[in-house]
Amino acid sequence: MDVFILAIESSCDETSIAIVKNGKEVISLVIASQMDTHALYGGVVPEIASRMHTEAITMVLDEALKKANMTIDEMSAIAVTYKPGLTGSLMVGIEAAKTIALMYDKPLIGVNHLIGHIYANNIDDKMEFPMLALIVSGGHTELLVMEDDYKFLKLGETLDDAIGECFDKVARVLGLKYPGGPNVERLAKTGNCTYDLPQPVMDNTYNFSYSGLKSAVINLVHNSKQRGEEIRKCDLACSFQSVAIDELKRKVEKAFLETGIKRLVIAGGVSANGYLKEEMQKLCDKYDAKLLIPKLLYCTDNAAMIGAAAYPLYLKGEFSDFSLNASSVGDI
Amino acid sequence: MNTVYIDTHFKKLVLGLLKDGKLVDKKELLSNKHSENTVRLLQELLNDNKLAAKDIEQVIVINGPGSFTGVRIGVVVAKVMGYTRNIKIKAISYLQALDLEYNRDITLGISDKNGVFGGSFNSRHELLKDYFYLSFDEIKKSNLDITILDDKDVDMELIFKYLEDKEEVNPHVLKPLYVKRIDVAND
Repeated sequence: MDVFILAIESSCDETSIAIVKNGKEVISLVIASQMDTHALYGGVVPEIASRMHTEAITMVLDEALKKANMTIDEMSAIAVTYKPGLTGSLMVGIEAAKTIALMYDKPLIGVNHLIGHIYANNIDDKMEFPMLALIVSGGHTELLVMEDDYKFLKLGETLDDAIGECFDKVARVLGLKYPGGPNVERLAKTGNCTYDLPQPVMDNTYNFSYSGLKSAVINLVHNSKQRGEEIRKCDLACSFQSVAIDELKRKVEKAFLETGIKRLVIAGGVSANGYLKEEMQKLCDKYDAKLLIPKLLYCTDNAAMIGAAAYPLYLKGEFSDFSLNASSVGDI
Repeated sequence: MNTVYIDTHFKKLVLGLLKDGKLVDKKELLSNKHSENTVRLLQELLNDNKLAAKDIEQVIVINGPGSFTGVRIGVVVAKVMGYTRNIKIKAISYLQALDLEYNRDITLGISDKNGVFGGSFNSRHELLKDYFYLSFDEIKKSNLDITILDDKDVDMELIFKYLEDKEEVNPHVLKPLYVKRIDVAND
C-alpha cells in the first residue's frame, strides 16, 4: 500500500508543508518564505520568524492539501522537523503536527533537519549504500558515511564556523544583501581568483575549519579600506569561494581514497552553489564515483525532504509521542 | 456541546472541558515546557472523557498577553484544531477574562519579570483603550490606578457565557496578542 506522509518544516525562515508518497514522490509542496522580511534586518530575527510561522501555518497546510487534492484522512503519518533550528520556529511546526496527529489519530514522526537534507536526494532519485554524505549549510559542515538507511558514521565536521555561515559573513563584509551565499556565487562568476587567501590548516583528519578564512577576508577588506584602496569585490568573492570549496574537495577526496566508497551525496543549503556542483562532479569523475545532488528546489529548506526522511522511520514504526520537543542542536 | 478551553499564556498550563457551558474536567500543570505538555494533556483530557476529535464543537483560547512562546503554543493548537476539524474558535485575552468578574470600570494588570501587561475595561467588559505594557518603573512613576492580579484563576464558565454571542475567529486569521514590543537587534 502506498504511504503518504504529511510533512512540516519550520526550523528557520520558511514555513513549508509537503505531501510525499513512498518517501520519493512529491505530491505537493508549499513553501512560504520570510526571506524578504528578514532581509530588512540583514539576517533572520528569531522572534519575527516564530510570529510569521504562526500566522502562515494553517494557510500553508490548506494550500498543500488543495494542491494535492487530498485530505488529512488519507495520510499515513504526520512528520515534522524537531531539530536542529530556531527553537521558537521549530515549536510552531511541532505543535501544529502534534495537533493534526491528535485530531486525526495519525502517527507522529519527528525528523532531524540535517537527515532531511540528506534524504532530499531520495526525491526523484535513489540513494544507494554505502555512500558518503557531505552536509553543507548555514549551521553545519559534516562528512559522514552512511552504510544503510539511518546508519551514520561521522568522519569529521567543522571545528569552528559552518561553510554557509562563512559565505554569509563574507557577503556582509562585501556589502551584499541577505541571503549572502547566492550573491557571493553570482559575484564570483564575474571575477578571477587573484587574491591570495590562506588555505585552512592542512591536517590529516576529516575536520573542517572556516574561521581563519573568514577572518582573512574580513581583515583584508578592513585593511584595504583603511589604506583607501579599492577592493575588487568580484575577484575577492571568486578567491574566497575557491578556497572554501577546495577545503571540501580535499576532505571528500581523502574519503574516496581511504574508504573506497564510490558514491557521494551533497546536502544542505550550500549544495545549491553551482561552483560546488561543478567541482564535485569533476572530483567524482576522477574517482569514477556517482554524485547525487538534490534539485535546486530541494537543496534549500523545504518540507518534501522531511517527508522523504520520515519514510524509513515510518516503515520501521519509529514514531514520536506528544512530548516531542524542539531542540536548537541536533547531531546526526 | 463540548468545548475545549486552552490557556498556555504563562507558567500554568490550563486545559478545560465544558459540556454545554458547565466545566466537567480540567487539567493543570505548572511548567516551563508547555510545548511538551499541551497536546499530550489535551489527548489525556479527551481520552479520560471518552471523546474523539469529532466530538469537539468549540475551542476557547486565551490569545495573550504573556510569554510569547507560551501564547503561540495555545494559539497554534487552536488554529490547527479549527482548521482541520472545523471546530469553532473563540479567542479572549487573559486580561479580559479576568475582567469578567468585575462589573465596573477597572484597569487590570498582570506582571512578567520586567513589567506589567494592562488593559482598561468598562462595566460591560469592553476594552477602552489599547492594551499596554509598562515596566515596573514606568508603573511606579505613573499615577495609574491599576489592579494587578497575578496567578489568579479565571472562571471558565463565565468566559464561555461571555463568548456565547461573540463572533468566532477564522483559524487563518487567529493570532497571538503580543502587546509587548520586541527589540530587533542584529549585528
